Amino acid sequence: MIADIFSNLALGFSVAVSPANILFLLIGSVVGMIVGLFPGFGPAAGIAILIPMTFGMDPTSAIIMLAGIYYGAMYGGTITSILINTPGESATVASTLDGYPLAKQGRAGPALVMQAVASFVGGTTGVILICGLIPYLASFAASFGPTEYFLIIVFGLLLLTTVMGENKINGIVSALIGFAIAMVGVDIISGMQRFTFGSPELIGGIYFVPIAIGLFGMGELMYCIYQGQHRLDPEPMRIGFRSKNFWPTKKDFTDSKYTFVRGSIIGFVAGLLPGSGGTIGSIMGYSVEKKVAKDDSKFGKGDMRGLVAPECANNAASSGSMVPLLSLGIPGSGSTAVLLGAFMMWGLRPGPMMIVEEPEFIWGLIASMYLGNMALILMSIIAIPFFVKFLDVPYRFVVPIIVMLCVVGSYTLHGSIIETWIFLIAGLLGFGMKLYGYSPAALVLALVLGSMAENTLLQSLIMSDGSLLIFFQRPLSAIMTSVLILLIVGPYIGRKIRRRVSATTETRNA
Amino acid sequence: MIKTTKLLKVTAATMVCAFASIASAEDYADYPSQSLNFTIAFGPGGGNDTMVRSLVEVIRKYELYPEDIIIRNREGGSGAIGWSYVNQQAGNPYHITSTSGNFIGTPLVSNTDWNYESFTPVGLLANDALVIAVAADSEFSTLEDFVNEAKNRRVTIGGIGAAGPDRVVAGLLQDSAGITLEYVPQQDGGQLLTSLTSGSVDAVLGGPSEVAGQVDAGNFRILAYSENTRSNIYPEIPTFVEQGYDVVFSLPRGVMLPADVPEHTQQWWIDTLQTVIQTPEWQEGYLQRNGLSGNPIWGEEFADYLDDTNSKFESTLREIGAIR
Repeated sequence: MIADIFSNLALGFSVAVSPANILFLLIGSVVGMIVGLFPGFGPAAGIAILIPMTFGMDPTSAIIMLAGIYYGAMYGGTITSILINTPGESATVASTLDGYPLAKQGRAGPALVMQAVASFVGGTTGVILICGLIPYLASFAASFGPTEYFLIIVFGLLLLTTVMGENKINGIVSALIGFAIAMVGVDIISGMQRFTFGSPELIGGIYFVPIAIGLFGMGELMYCIYQGQHRLDPEPMRIGFRSKNFWPTKKDFTDSKYTFVRGSIIGFVAGLLPGSGGTIGSIMGYSVEKKVAKDDSKFGKGDMRGLVAPECANNAASSGSMVPLLSLGIPGSGSTAVLLGAFMMWGLRPGPMMIVEEPEFIWGLIASMYLGNMALILMSIIAIPFFVKFLDVPYRFVVPIIVMLCVVGSYTLHGSIIETWIFLIAGLLGFGMKLYGYSPAALVLALVLGSMAENTLLQSLIMSDGSLLIFFQRPLSAIMTSVLILLIVGPYIGRKIRRRVSATTETRNA
Repeated sequence: MIKTTKLLKVTAATMVCAFASIASAEDYADYPSQSLNFTIAFGPGGGNDTMVRSLVEVIRKYELYPEDIIIRNREGGSGAIGWSYVNQQAGNPYHITSTSGNFIGTPLVSNTDWNYESFTPVGLLANDALVIAVAADSEFSTLEDFVNEAKNRRVTIGGIGAAGPDRVVAGLLQDSAGITLEYVPQQDGGQLLTSLTSGSVDAVLGGPSEVAGQVDAGNFRILAYSENTRSNIYPEIPTFVEQGYDVVFSLPRGVMLPADVPEHTQQWWIDTLQTVIQTPEWQEGYLQRNGLSGNPIWGEEFADYLDDTNSKFESTLREIGAIR
């Protein structure tokens, strides 16, 4: 097993360590950091926009670059969280809780360096865990038929509730819009067309990438303008290497040595589960850290552990969500969903057979993630003062550039003007959703998972002659169905028991 | 009102000019002098994809096409999307596509804006027969076993698409053996494979190139081959016919240009592809590795062949109730 890991990694490094691949890795990481810096402009849109630029590139180099954007964004996203209390994306929301207070206390330098170190530890731990788990998951994945796929998709749909935000009704409505969009196109079981209105462009269904660029990129942009962000002139910041307060103290490290471990593992597990990912991972990492801390009085007021935990977690999660993506072909988040689209465009089919059929690609990608994390920690520390300057560019100059990139990106994807319209409509929809507290993430995930759920459910039912018992007959399905039922019913039973217990104690007390 | 009319006239005049300039560019005397768009109407990994990528590899290696070749998978609607896209490029010889069974079948079962006659035929490069495969550790060691089991219980068989060639072969086997098979449509080649590796279906229908990897790995066993005679690549696989079942069907693997392209561009491709099919890379690297028989025919002859396949396909689909 361990020998396997090393031989696989040797193969991976032999692929990743070529001048071209290292160059693309660096480009991807830098772009990722920059993309992460823009509030509301997350890796999903960054990857989607850069996909057309990878046409004509070797698929492995292209994916190494796109994956670099994905995890690079986690490094960049925190910088704005710390400096101006504005998370670059949802996975870095938790980092504002203690990062911003630290900056206000004049400790912005140590906080930024610490987040880079935490990101590195989280990301690298995640990659090490992938190496251990992927070979095991590959043989496991070959035993996944339509039935098991359906159940795992249902599991992903259940976890959708965690990305929905506070208003669950709005979240469910968002997911239902996603399902509705997923209905468009040919039904693969009967071959009938649905909601295509005779348009050949719609026979294949509505692709989620223009929807994602619209909802996240365009929607967020309009929302920022609506809030008047373009009228604000950012306050200039001054931080340099020579500054006394640039580096973290020894105490910062000793205080949070176990935080690194806990944050990384929690984040990785959250990343493994489809629909969860960095956002949940970072929030869980933060809340667990606060619970186990002996003295939690400083949390929320500038505790270094409160920054390290979510940072380790969101980076470990971005590695973790590569596992379902690479071994099952199931995207765990909006960004990995866009990556999945890129894989398919390159003629790779992420799924159980990919690790067997494309070992150079998989291990090359994983090895590049090791190197990428190393490059990113160095770049972060070098670039922190420069990135801070970058934020001085007024938002009103940034907006037109992003709009152009989005329009060009959505058109170049398939050379389809209809997809450009879909993107623009999705942009309006995304603005409305942001304004009224709906969840674009739930919509995109439902769109991706919805058609997969429908196909695999119908396939399962044909296999079983319409009997739902098929979800119990196959051993793996039986286990998964039981877990699902427990997850759904568990909380209600738990609440009832608790109520009964408290009721009895009350009567006793009375 | 007058203003509007005037505006319309100007617009019309501009449009006429625009069309005229397009028309004058349409003789393509210096063909080929631009990059070529090769559309694959299916997702990556399937038989169509394999053929196009092998073909383009040979063309690139021998520098037969002077400019870039851009390969694009436009999947969806059992080929409807990709071929509809190419159909819309009528007159433009810088678009090209490959054919398969769905090229005939999809227009028969769904309401497409094209059919096989909407394109300019270049050539049929190979015949791709289908095989029926089961898991190596299953109880079926011959086709006979499989048919007998299907008489006793409900047997499921996976194939790609709702009403494609896989469905036709399943239908032919049902008719000739007097059995009922439960056909489970799969979305793509990968899903087809996992449906069998996971034991979700009893058998799958697919091209030899789709199951070859799993057969080599010792996971699948092939029970029968859908051509009249045994394949020279897999001589050990018996045909349906020699096992007493009248199932003969293969997919036309050919190349098509959009409609209304200049004749010399069609001839350019016939000449070029005649060079391609003689290379060892094509013979060994593509045909042999994917277990295909190469019986190439060109131009009008290919069009006649497609006519013939179309009528066979149509009558089979009518028989199994896929079309009325």
